[in-house]
Amino acid sequence: MDYSTLKFAGLPVLAWVPLLPLLGALINLTLGRRFARTTVHTIAIGSVAAACGLSMWLVFGLLWAAFKDGRGGTGIAQSVYTWMEVGNFKVELAFRLDTLSAVMILIVTFVGTLIHIYSTGYMAKEPRYAAYFGYLNLFMGAMLTLVLAANLPVMFIGWEGVGLCSFLLIGFWYEREDYATAGRKAFIVNRIGDFAFLLGMFLLFWATKTLDFEQLKGSAVGAAYVQPFWGGERLAAAAAICLFIGACGKSAQLPLFTWLPDAMAGPTPVSALIHAATMVTAGVYMVCRLSFLYSASTTAMIVVATVGLLTALAAAFMAFAQTDLKKVLAYSTVSQLGFMFVAAGTGNWVAAVFHLGTHAFFKACLFLGAGSVMHGMEHGGSVTPGDITTMGGLRKHMPITRITFMISCLAIAGIFPFAGFFSKDEILAGSWGVHPPGWPVWYGKVLWGGLLIAALGTAFYMWRLYFLVFSGNERSEEAKHAHESPASMTMPLVILALLATLAGLIGFPHLTSIKLPSFTHALSSWLAPSVTSTWWNPGADGVNTNVMIAGHSSDATILGLAAVALAVGALGIALAYMFYGRGPSAQVNRLVDGPLASAYEASKAKLWFDEIYDAAIVRPFKVIASGLYTVVDKLIIDTIAVNGSAVVVGLFSRISRLFQNGQVQRYLAGLVIGAALVFFVTDWHTKPTFDYEIVGDRLKLTAQPGAGLLGAATKIRWDVDGDGNADADPATNAPYTSPELFVLLGDTRTRVNLFIDDPITRKTTKVTRVLHLPPAPPAVPNQEGK
Amino acid sequence: MRVLMLIVTMLLTLGAIDAIAPALAIADPIPAQINNKPRVAITKRSQHSDKIESKDKGMALLFWAFAAATIGGALFVVTRRNLIAAVMGMVGSFLGISAVYMMLYASFLSVIQMLVYAGAIMVLFVFVVMILNRPEDEPVAPTGRAGQAIGGLAIVYLVGRLIFMLMKVQPPNPATAVNAPAPVELPGDIVGTTERVDWGSVKAVGWDLFGPGLFVFEATSILLLIAVVGAIAIARPLHEDQDNQSEPRHTPRDEAAHADAARKVADAEATTGGHA
Amino acid sequence: MSDILFNVGYGHFLVLAALLFLIGTAGVMIRRNALIIVMSVELMLNAANMTLLTFSRMWGDLSGHTFALIVIAVAAAEAAVGLAIVVAVFRGRRNVDVDRLTTLRH
Repeated sequence: MDYSTLKFAGLPVLAWVPLLPLLGALINLTLGRRFARTTVHTIAIGSVAAACGLSMWLVFGLLWAAFKDGRGGTGIAQSVYTWMEVGNFKVELAFRLDTLSAVMILIVTFVGTLIHIYSTGYMAKEPRYAAYFGYLNLFMGAMLTLVLAANLPVMFIGWEGVGLCSFLLIGFWYEREDYATAGRKAFIVNRIGDFAFLLGMFLLFWATKTLDFEQLKGSAVGAAYVQPFWGGERLAAAAAICLFIGACGKSAQLPLFTWLPDAMAGPTPVSALIHAATMVTAGVYMVCRLSFLYSASTTAMIVVATVGLLTALAAAFMAFAQTDLKKVLAYSTVSQLGFMFVAAGTGNWVAAVFHLGTHAFFKACLFLGAGSVMHGMEHGGSVTPGDITTMGGLRKHMPITRITFMISCLAIAGIFPFAGFFSKDEILAGSWGVHPPGWPVWYGKVLWGGLLIAALGTAFYMWRLYFLVFSGNERSEEAKHAHESPASMTMPLVILALLATLAGLIGFPHLTSIKLPSFTHALSSWLAPSVTSTWWNPGADGVNTNVMIAGHSSDATILGLAAVALAVGALGIALAYMFYGRGPSAQVNRLVDGPLASAYEASKAKLWFDEIYDAAIVRPFKVIASGLYTVVDKLIIDTIAVNGSAVVVGLFSRISRLFQNGQVQRYLAGLVIGAALVFFVTDWHTKPTFDYEIVGDRLKLTAQPGAGLLGAATKIRWDVDGDGNADADPATNAPYTSPELFVLLGDTRTRVNLFIDDPITRKTTKVTRVLHLPPAPPAVPNQEGK
Repeated sequence: MRVLMLIVTMLLTLGAIDAIAPALAIADPIPAQINNKPRVAITKRSQHSDKIESKDKGMALLFWAFAAATIGGALFVVTRRNLIAAVMGMVGSFLGISAVYMMLYASFLSVIQMLVYAGAIMVLFVFVVMILNRPEDEPVAPTGRAGQAIGGLAIVYLVGRLIFMLMKVQPPNPATAVNAPAPVELPGDIVGTTERVDWGSVKAVGWDLFGPGLFVFEATSILLLIAVVGAIAIARPLHEDQDNQSEPRHTPRDEAAHADAARKVADAEATTGGHA
Repeated sequence: MSDILFNVGYGHFLVLAALLFLIGTAGVMIRRNALIIVMSVELMLNAANMTLLTFSRMWGDLSGHTFALIVIAVAAAEAAVGLAIVVAVFRGRRNVDVDRLTTLRH
């Protein structure tokens, strides 16, 4: 059945998914200040929960049926209206629910609902309660727009919308200067990425004349991707890399990741929702959405994979020395996003989305747990609630938080059977076995090795965090007085921990020898229609050669790789226990002061990324800006343009004040003088004359009697044959009297007289001109004329 | 003395109009006369001119007389220091204009001109002159010698230029231009019949005014109402005691001196930057 | 010359109107008494009326008469309001010299 025309309250039903949170945002942002807190969060949670319920109905009700019919890739497409139509450029405000966006809307709405509920407890004392929930709802609407978009411009609306909400929520406590700065930083860094995103979009439109995903996916325009564009590289490479730079900004990848750690200035639920579970994964989602484009260029793929790997490694390294609870989690997020991009860069779309989902659960759980810890610490009286050096021993005070945090740590470290194990293992296995055409054959192994190191680091720093927060003894008074958070905060933790445990079950690896129940491969079969499974590489005949992306590995390889990954995770935990099992040990201090001092410094200073940017971009920019300020602003604009124009105006006003003195009589004198001048000028041409020109076989004579205005009473007579007497038309015998006269060339001589009679003065003016005519055509007019 | 002369002139003018009015109103069947005249005479006249009355030179002389009254009255208005003299010149000018209207076969407008302008409006002026009752100090505004010279030159040039241009104005249809305008066919009192009324008569103008011009007529009535209300509102004293204040307490001479002093103070303030 | 003197045509009326208008203009320009200025404006309006009637006669179109009538009505309104202003000004300032009415200038 076709659901494309399904409507609810006059709008396509898909539009209601983003619209519900947007309506909530509208109410809360406009009227929320007058509402009671209960009303505010009822509206906010209600709208998001309704969107969640609607998404579930859409996915499990409608899309499920379409999927079973084999139309999971097409899904449900609905257009709200035509947004703009310029020439052959047509953009619909259209939404499409296919199996890929279905996964995303479920994650977004579900996690979003939980975090809204959590926020009621966490933000209970916030004075700008309504604004907070309004922004959160606005974010949900924008994110759902991004996910459901059926074309790139609509996706870009969501893309910018989530960026805006991110800015608003990071700087939510803008009274603190550094928080506001963090918000601005996030916005500016994102703008750099957005600019590249736009460039990519323009490039795609230039090449294909369309921006609709379904049309872009079709083979009709697909041939454009393999056209050489720049330096012999395919057009797909340029477009995909441009779009990927946009994804780098949004998903905090090297080199645009610096905003995400600073973004922890926002409220913790915001970090959980925007900067861990949903918005930062938008880049991954976009790459998977455009899988057909990326699969057309292995150059773009290798860029994506390499950037992902480097980010995963660098962020894991930076996380080692952080002492702020949320900063560690932020670097962990950056690192995990790197994992996802490696998956996307190796064509392992399913693994990317799978890890996106599991990461959303366990990272949201971790962040919410961190929020719970900080909440508890704050109640204990801490002024720096996020400082892990003052924690320790919290297992006694916050049992639920501790259990859920531990489960999530196990998941992120990749311990069987938690969700992270399956998703991370699939990424590792995928990069081990991938052989994109054009890549060095060993490059997949390099990726695998790098990711393994990053996974080791992940397990280590996450468990370092866990041990420092929950194990050992309390290292401060505040920690002793910490207590468990209210149920509104622990309940989402429990649900998320449950999901972090179980979500892996839908993504078991494919084994040939053991027959697993079909639900264990649910995700890959579910996503299969929406992502491409072959390299787009047409042969000489232009037909796609359909080389499969994922090679099939043997069971032994799969199990072996899984065992290695598990071992690495366990090793990381063991190392963390060794150094931090009972709080910070003396060993650590010795290492940090001794052989690892420089590495520690580097990690602490985030590899000096901010400093490099400051030196390479910010300072030159400031120098240029101050130069522009001195030259352009102060000299040209202020002195020359503004003051100069004032001086000129002053000068002219001093002159015109002589006339504009308020005396109406003087104005009238000006009017009269002006009228006289008009008459004088129109009368200027006083000498009467006439013009002539040749039109066809005729001579056109135009009298200019000289008064400027042809006096109505003035009579005109023409003498065209030069005998001194006025002539008449030979045919009608009527005298020539009109100011404009056409005569046959043959009837004229070279001398023409014009007589102008003035009946008042009785004076006749005679004008004589000698015409310079071209040699007449030999007597033809005479013969055919009269 | 001058006023007396003016009144005499006025009376004479009125008498003259009275004398020619029948001749103008009768509107002789001129076409027949023209057709009877020799061809030479017609060509001579119909070259460029529309003779309003083609019988003899008398009409032309009358035109010149009334034109002179009009222009003379107007010049009187502009040049006299005495306000009453100016108003009387104005009345003379209006009477001349009225006669000229009559020559243009605008008999209704001619009467209106005399009643409304020379009658009502000029009486209003006279009343105001009586309220003011102050001769002007300086008849000509001091706008500077150069300004006067240029303005005067401009007006003289305009006069000459306009005369040369306007004298050439040609009627659209020279053949009928000299004729008296044809009577207007109007629906008669009995349905289905028509009635011929003189061109420019009350009835003819009335049909035009209350036909196509009805909206404008109504709009004008509202304008007049507004003008009446506005004039009352403006001319009424703002406060009851203002009337008492406005009673002249000083002799006119003191008054003028006082005003001059005030002006000087104000000017001094202006030049020393007393204003913001 | 005698042609211009004795063959009175439309041009004569138009020239008369133009002269009247220009005299009115000159009056507004050179006189300082507000009352005289109002009178000069009346002269100019009459000149316009005369032109209207001349052309009405020339084209045989009666709507010129209607128009002239309207102009007379408007002129009456203008005279009423103008004289009211003159009286009001005189009451406040004891003179009607337009050169001294400079309160709004600075």
